[in-house]
Amino acid sequence: MISISSVSKQYKGAPRAALENVSLEIDKGEFVFLVGASGSGKSSLMRMILREDLPTSGSIHVLGENLIGIPNRRVPHFRRKLGVVFQDFRLLPNKTAAQNVAFSLEVIGKSRGFIAEAVPDVLRLVGLEEKANNLPSELSGGEQQRIALARAIVNKPAILLADEPTGNLDPATSIDIMSLLERINLSGTTIVMATHDRGIVDRGQKRVIELSQGKIVRDARGASYGVGE
Amino acid sequence: MRFSFVFSEMGIAIRRNLSMVISVILVTFISLTFVGTAGLLQQQIGSMKTYWYDKAQVAIYLCTETSPAEVCPQGEASQDVQDTVTERLKSATLAEYIDKYYFENHQQAYETFQEEFKDNSVAKYVKPEQLNETFWVNLKDPNQAPIIIESFNGLSGVEEVKDQRTYLDQIFSILNIASLAALSIAALMLFSAVLLISTTIRLSAVMRRREIGIMRLVGASNFYIQLPFILEGVVAGVIGSLLAGGAILGIVQVFVQGFLATQLPFTSFVGIPDALALLPLLVATGGGLAAIAAASAIRRYLRV
Repeated sequence: MISISSVSKQYKGAPRAALENVSLEIDKGEFVFLVGASGSGKSSLMRMILREDLPTSGSIHVLGENLIGIPNRRVPHFRRKLGVVFQDFRLLPNKTAAQNVAFSLEVIGKSRGFIAEAVPDVLRLVGLEEKANNLPSELSGGEQQRIALARAIVNKPAILLADEPTGNLDPATSIDIMSLLERINLSGTTIVMATHDRGIVDRGQKRVIELSQGKIVRDARGASYGVGE
Repeated sequence: MRFSFVFSEMGIAIRRNLSMVISVILVTFISLTFVGTAGLLQQQIGSMKTYWYDKAQVAIYLCTETSPAEVCPQGEASQDVQDTVTERLKSATLAEYIDKYYFENHQQAYETFQEEFKDNSVAKYVKPEQLNETFWVNLKDPNQAPIIIESFNGLSGVEEVKDQRTYLDQIFSILNIASLAALSIAALMLFSAVLLISTTIRLSAVMRRREIGIMRLVGASNFYIQLPFILEGVVAGVIGSLLAGGAILGIVQVFVQGFLATQLPFTSFVGIPDALALLPLLVATGGGLAAIAAASAIRRYLRV
């Protein structure tokens, strides 16, 4: 599903490599925590899986696509098979919750009929159907992240990338988001989640990949956040 | 592809960026008005050329008593000279170039002169014998005037052979300079319109960078992302060019047909059909330039 082999990334002008000889395999349906200090290379890795960036060397295959060789015009179609959520939600402030979700379908050319069915369905899944017509400013942080999650999964992606999705949320709300992510995972979606949140990782007891200074220092299943920090 | 969505996105972009869009419309409007004016001048020159060149003749002026002695030592041209000229005009070598010719004697020349200068005091002092007897020659192809000029120049009893188009060419060169000036101004203004359009589109893209970011993330194709911006530029360009077309029609209706044509009744001027013929050209120029400028601006913005 995701196959990364000997990937290194050296940004211009940076003193050391952001990623150094990273190799990993993630299978269909897995839930993986990506942990490590700021600057350890988590975000660089996520960007490469999304094909927002290319490695300096090494190879990346995601969903059967060789991301090094994929032509630029095919990148949008590749990204439609992935969902992404961020720490800062990235909702459009002038659109309602439902419009935010619908927007991501409109811009990939989905029909009105499809959108009219898919949006209420996904809002129900994240438990916000009654807030469909609220603007993001009228929603709490947790609710905003649910909308962002709804937007990420409305197109039924095979992989969901979550970059610190609970980073801006209080612990109770974080647990809600985590249980939502676990439900999404149970329906077959592979999830890669970068996080700093020790409590969440320890509670999850899932596969943990730890990065430090651009290298994988640990890859363990059913693990906790780590002993080093 | 959902066009209603693309158009509503374009509408939002235009509303947010309204002042810049208006400035694009105005600059396109003014520059294309200059383009249209240059086009009208060229059409005017063209129609005057066909009108006047057809009428223009080669004049073979015969000597008079008052002609300068160095060209006409014998004074007034004799009947022999007239016969020689007639003979040559009828000869096989020249006849094939000549459509028709006629002879104008002193008295006829005097009457024409009195008619043309009836409000001028010079008419009182001119006597018939001072005016040249003239052979007026119409050519099948006015460009072949040099053949006639060469055949009769230097013939004794002929004062001068003159292609009347040389008078017209001066007028046309003035009109040509005017249309060139209009075109140069138009080129400068169009250049600034292109710069303004690309700045406007980039500004619009910066204002909508959040939307663009999400569009890229969820896998919207580049074409889909770029289309509303390109359309924003094209809409502004087309509105500007339609305004320019309106201005051109107004100039033709009010100034050319309403003023010039009544002042100079025997001249053919450009009309509304000529201006209407320019309209598609203006719209294509305005819309096309805007599309190219907007597309290259948004592509450069999105690449970074």
